[in-house]
Amino acid sequence: MNGYAGKILRVNLTTGTFTKEPTPADVARDFIGGRGFGIYFLLKEVPKGADPLGPENKLIISSGPISGMMIPGGGKCDWTTKAPLTGGYAGASMGGHFTAEMRYAGLDSIILEGISPKPVYLFIDNDRIELRDASGLWGKATFEVEKQFKEKLGEEYQIATIGPGGENMVSYACINHDYGRQAGRGGVGAVMGSKKVKAIVLHGTKSIPVADMQAYRKAGMALYKACKDAEGLKEWIRYGTTTVVDWCNQVGALPTRNFSAGSFEGAEGIYGKTMREKIVITDKGCFGCPSPCGKYSRSKKYNSYVEGPEYETIGLMGSNLGIDDIEVVAQANLLCDDLGIDTISAGNSIGWAMECYQKGIFTKKDTDGLDLKFGNVEAIFTLIGKIARKEGFGVLLGEGVKRASKKIGQGTEKFAIHVKGMEQSAYATHNATAMLLAYMTCDVGAHHNRSWAITYDLQVGRDLVVPEKVARVIWLQNFRPMFDVIGGCRLQWVELSIDRDLYVPALEAITGIHRSWEDLEKVGDRIWNMTRMFWARENDGFGREWDLPPARFYEDAPTTGATKGQITKLEDVNRLLDMYYEQRGWDSNGLPTLETIENLGLEAVVA
Amino acid sequence: MTASIRLSDSLKNLLGSEGLFTIEAGHSVREAIVSLGINPDLVAVVSVGDEMQSKDYLIQEGDTVRLLAVIGGG
Ligand code: SF4
Repeated sequence: MNGYAGKILRVNLTTGTFTKEPTPADVARDFIGGRGFGIYFLLKEVPKGADPLGPENKLIISSGPISGMMIPGGGKCDWTTKAPLTGGYAGASMGGHFTAEMRYAGLDSIILEGISPKPVYLFIDNDRIELRDASGLWGKATFEVEKQFKEKLGEEYQIATIGPGGENMVSYACINHDYGRQAGRGGVGAVMGSKKVKAIVLHGTKSIPVADMQAYRKAGMALYKACKDAEGLKEWIRYGTTTVVDWCNQVGALPTRNFSAGSFEGAEGIYGKTMREKIVITDKGCFGCPSPCGKYSRSKKYNSYVEGPEYETIGLMGSNLGIDDIEVVAQANLLCDDLGIDTISAGNSIGWAMECYQKGIFTKKDTDGLDLKFGNVEAIFTLIGKIARKEGFGVLLGEGVKRASKKIGQGTEKFAIHVKGMEQSAYATHNATAMLLAYMTCDVGAHHNRSWAITYDLQVGRDLVVPEKVARVIWLQNFRPMFDVIGGCRLQWVELSIDRDLYVPALEAITGIHRSWEDLEKVGDRIWNMTRMFWARENDGFGREWDLPPARFYEDAPTTGATKGQITKLEDVNRLLDMYYEQRGWDSNGLPTLETIENLGLEAVVA
Repeated sequence: MTASIRLSDSLKNLLGSEGLFTIEAGHSVREAIVSLGINPDLVAVVSVGDEMQSKDYLIQEGDTVRLLAVIGGG
C-alpha cells in the first residue's frame, strides 16, 4: 500500500509474543494514520471501563504517511491510550527521529498490550524483534538510559524511554526521546510503566513505497522552498517557541502565580531574547525539519545542558511559579525530562500547591517541611523529584490538580487550573473567549495544540461571544490535528505561514489518493467526534459539566497586569458551549446526536 | 531619515496587507505600527537585525524592522 510501511506490530507483553498484521487498507483510507489510527484502535480494542494502568489498556504508537519522508516536519509520532491522568482519551504527539526509524523498520504502528511480568525493553531491528530484560535499567533516569543504548548499539538506533516517573506511574509521566523530545501529556509514560516497558529501541533500513516518485520529489521540494523563503524563518530558528513569552506577557496571556494573572513583573528574565543571550548554544530539530525550533541550552549556574526550555515550560515553570530566571527554568526542565514527568502538568500542579500554601491551606507540616512560597527555587527542584519518585508530599501532586484538589477541598478546586483533569498549558484565558473555548473543548483536556486562537481573540475582540469565534475554534480543531494524523509537524504552517495546500500534492504523491483540505478536515471532524464518544463511553455522567473551565476564569479577575479586572462571565461560558454544541451537531449536554454520528458515517465505529 | 518595515507572512495574511513599508526613522516601533493602522497587540515579535526588540525601540535610519504575528501558538 503506497505511503505505508505496511505492518502493524502487536506486542503481547503478558505472554511475551509478537504478531505482525498488514496495515488495514480500509482504516488507512478512512483514518489515514497517526492519531486517526490511535483513536480507531483505542475505541475498537480497549474495553469499556478498562483500568488505564491495567492489562486491558493499550499503548498505540502510530506514524502517518508523511512520517519519515522528505517532507518538512515528517518526524511526528502519535501515542494514544486511555489516559491515567484524566480517564479519557490521550493522544500525545512526539517529534524527533523515532517515527521515521519505526517506518524504516517496516512498521506503521506498534501496539503494546497486556503487562510484562518483569521490566523489559522492546528491541526492533528491521524484522528482528525481541523483548529484552531491562531490570538493570529500571530506576534509571531517561538521559542515562538513552546514552547507554546509543553507546551500546550505535547512534542510528532511536530510543523512547520512561524515567522513574513512568515506572512509578505518576499520572502525568511522559516518554522521552532524543534527549529532549517527549510524548508529554496525559500520562502516556505511566501506561508504558504499568506495562513494565522501560524503553523501545529501534532501527530500520527498509523503504516506504510511494505512488509517484517524481511528483513526491516535486511536492517535497516545493514545501522545503516555501519554508526557506518564509519571512519569519530567521526569527523562528533563532528563538523557536520562546518568541511569544514577551508578547504573552504584554497581552495578559502569560500564566502567572497559578494563573492568578496573565502578566508577570519578572518576565524579562525569562524572555526568549534573554534565553538566547544567556543560555542557548545551538539549535536542534526533528527529522527532516528546515526550521528547527529546539534550542539546546547550557546553564552555567547549574553546570547542566538541556534541550529547551520552550514556551510551555517557561510559562509553567517560570512565571507560573514566580520564577524570573531562565536558568532556573532550564534546570527544572532538565529535572522533569530526566525523571520523566510532563513539565506542563508538573509546573501547573506545583503552582496550585504554592497557592494553597500562600492561602494557609498547606503548611510546612503538609509539604514535608518545604517552604512553598512562589519563587522558592529549591522547593521547586525538590518537589519535582518527590513527584517523580512518589515520595511524601509528591504523591498528592503527582495525581494532578483535579484529584489533589478534590482530596484537599477547602475551595482549592476553584484554583485548580485544569479541564477534564488535564492541567492547562501556558496561556492564561481570563479574557480571551475563543482560546478559553479551545481549552474547554480540547479532546485531551486543557491543551493548546488542537486549537489556538488568542491572536484571533485580539483581532476580533477578546471578550466577544459570537458564532464566528466558535466556528473558528471548530475549524482549527478539525484542521490542526490533521498534522498529527498525517505524521507531520504543524509548525511550518503555524509559524511560517506556508501555504497548507502545498501538503495536498505531497500526500497524494505518497499515497496515491487525492485528498483536498476539505476532505482532510472531514476526517478531522470524524476523529474529533470519536474522541468525544470515547470520553462519554468511559466516564459515567460525562457531558457539559466536564467542559467547564476552571472557576478562576469566570470568578476571579486578575488584580494586576494587562488583564487586570477582566474576566469571562459564566453566562458567556455557557453561551459559548451552547453555540459550540449546536455547530458540532451535539445535544445540549455536549454529546454527538445520532444524526451527527450517521452523517459522519461513524455508526459502526462507535457501536 | 527613512527606515523600512517588513511584515512576516503570518502578519501579512492576518492583516491582508502589503508586506513592505517605508517610514520615517526616529519614532518608536509602537508608533510606527499604529501609524500603519495595525493593532499593536497583533504584533508578537519585533526584530531588527538579528535581535528581538521591544515595541519601544526607537527606529534608526536605515533599519529594517521586521514584524511577526503569532497565528498558531505551538
Ligand atoms: S518545527 Fe520544531 S517541532 Fe516542528 S519539526 Fe521542526 S524542530 Fe520539530
